[in-house]
Amino acid sequence: METLRNYLKSMFQNLPNTREVQKAQYELGQMMEDKYNELKSEGKSENEAIGIVISEFGNLEELAADLGIDSYIHPEQQAMYDKRNITQDEAESFIADKQKSGVMTALGVLLCIMCVTPFILLEYIGSGSSVLGLAAMFGMIAIAIGFFVFSKVYMDKWSFLNRQSCSMDFSTTDYVHHERENYRMTHAVLITVGVMLCVLSFVPAAIMDELDMSELMTEGVAPVILFAMIAVGVFFFIVTGNRMKAYNTLLSVNERGTMGGSFVDSQKEQVHYDSKTVSAVMSVYWPTVTCIYLCWSFLTMDWHITWVVWVIASLVEMFIKNMNRDY
Amino acid sequence: MISISSDVIRGYNDTMILYLLLEKPSYGYEISKQIKSLSEEKYVIKETTLYSAFTRMEKNGYVESFSDEDMSNGKKRTYYRITEAGRAYYQEKCAEWNLTKEVVEKFIEGN
Repeated sequence: METLRNYLKSMFQNLPNTREVQKAQYELGQMMEDKYNELKSEGKSENEAIGIVISEFGNLEELAADLGIDSYIHPEQQAMYDKRNITQDEAESFIADKQKSGVMTALGVLLCIMCVTPFILLEYIGSGSSVLGLAAMFGMIAIAIGFFVFSKVYMDKWSFLNRQSCSMDFSTTDYVHHERENYRMTHAVLITVGVMLCVLSFVPAAIMDELDMSELMTEGVAPVILFAMIAVGVFFFIVTGNRMKAYNTLLSVNERGTMGGSFVDSQKEQVHYDSKTVSAVMSVYWPTVTCIYLCWSFLTMDWHITWVVWVIASLVEMFIKNMNRDY
Repeated sequence: MISISSDVIRGYNDTMILYLLLEKPSYGYEISKQIKSLSEEKYVIKETTLYSAFTRMEKNGYVESFSDEDMSNGKKRTYYRITEAGRAYYQEKCAEWNLTKEVVEKFIEGN
C-alpha cells in the first residue's frame, strides 16, 4: 500500500495545492486502496495487486480540464523545464556540507566568545602582561574569521539554490522530509541543552563566590567558566540550527503552491525587505551589533551589563522584520 | 486480443455510471467493480476516467456527492447519487446510443 501511496503522491507532486487537487488525490487514493484491498483478499500477491492497480489507474491528463491544471500537466508550454533538478545524491551531500560548514561557523563563534578569557585569566595569574592577553584575543578572532570565511567559501558551490529556481522530485522531497522529522528530536534536545548551559552559566561563578575562594578563582576562573558555558551553548545552537536549515532549504525548493512544496510552514518564509536601504542595513546588521558590543565592553569593561546589546539587537531585528514582511 | 478503444467508449462512460446510480447511490470503487463485472471483464474503467466523469457530471448537475459511512466497515466515503437532470440525460444518452448502434450496424460485416 505504501508503494501505491508514493505512486499517487509522485503523480500529484507538481500540481497546484488547491482544494480540487487535494480532493482528487484523496478520492483517487480511496479507489486505489479499495481495489488493492479487494485484490489482496482475492489472494493476489502484494506485487500483483500493486501492478494491477497501477496499470488500471489511468492518466492525470484526463483530469486536467476538470481541475484546471492544464498548464501543470503540459509543462513544456510553461517555463518549468529550465528548473534545475536536485537529485537525492545532491540533497544528501548538501545536508552533509551544510553540517560541516555549520560546525566551522560554530567553532568560529565559540572562539569569538572565548577570546576575552585569556585576557581575564592572565590578569589574575599576576603575570601583569595584558599584551599577551590581547595578542591571544586577536589571535583567536583571526582564527575565527578564518573559520567564517572558509565555511562561506565551502558553501559557495550550493549558492545556485538561492539564485536559480530549482525543483526536487517526490522521492527526494519525501526522503528529506523524513530525515528532518527524524532529526527533530535531536534538534530539540540540543537546543534545550544549549539554553540550559546559557541560563546556568552564572551558577559556577555564584558558587565560587559563596565558597569564598581566592580572587584568582572568583575573578579569574569563574568568568572563564561562564564564557565557556555560553560558548558551548551557542555552539549547539549554531550546529543544530544549520542542520535544520539545510532540511528546510531543500524542502522549500519546490514551488510553494504545489503539492510537493507544502512541507515548510509559512513562518519560515524568507523576509524580503521592500526598501533597498533597509536591506543594505540588514545585511551588515549582526556584524555591526557585534562591533558595538565589543567596543562598548572594552571601553567601559562593564561586561556584566553590556550583554543587553544582544537582547536589544534581536528585539530590534524582530521589529524590523515584522515591519517589512510582505503579506 | 481485441479490447475496447477508449475513444469509442468515452462518450458512454457517463451512461454506464448513471445506469448504476439509477438503482442506488454508490461510490468510486463499487461502480468500477460493477462496470467490470457487468461487462464480463471486457471493460475496465480507469480510476482517473471515473473520477473525471464524476466531477464533470457533478458540475453539470447530473449527480450529487455526499459523504457517508460505509455500512460494511464504517469508513467515511464520498457517495454519488443521480439527480432528476441526470435521469433525463441518461434517457437522452440511451436514445442516442440506439440511433448510433443502428447506424453503425449497417456498416458492419457479418450481421
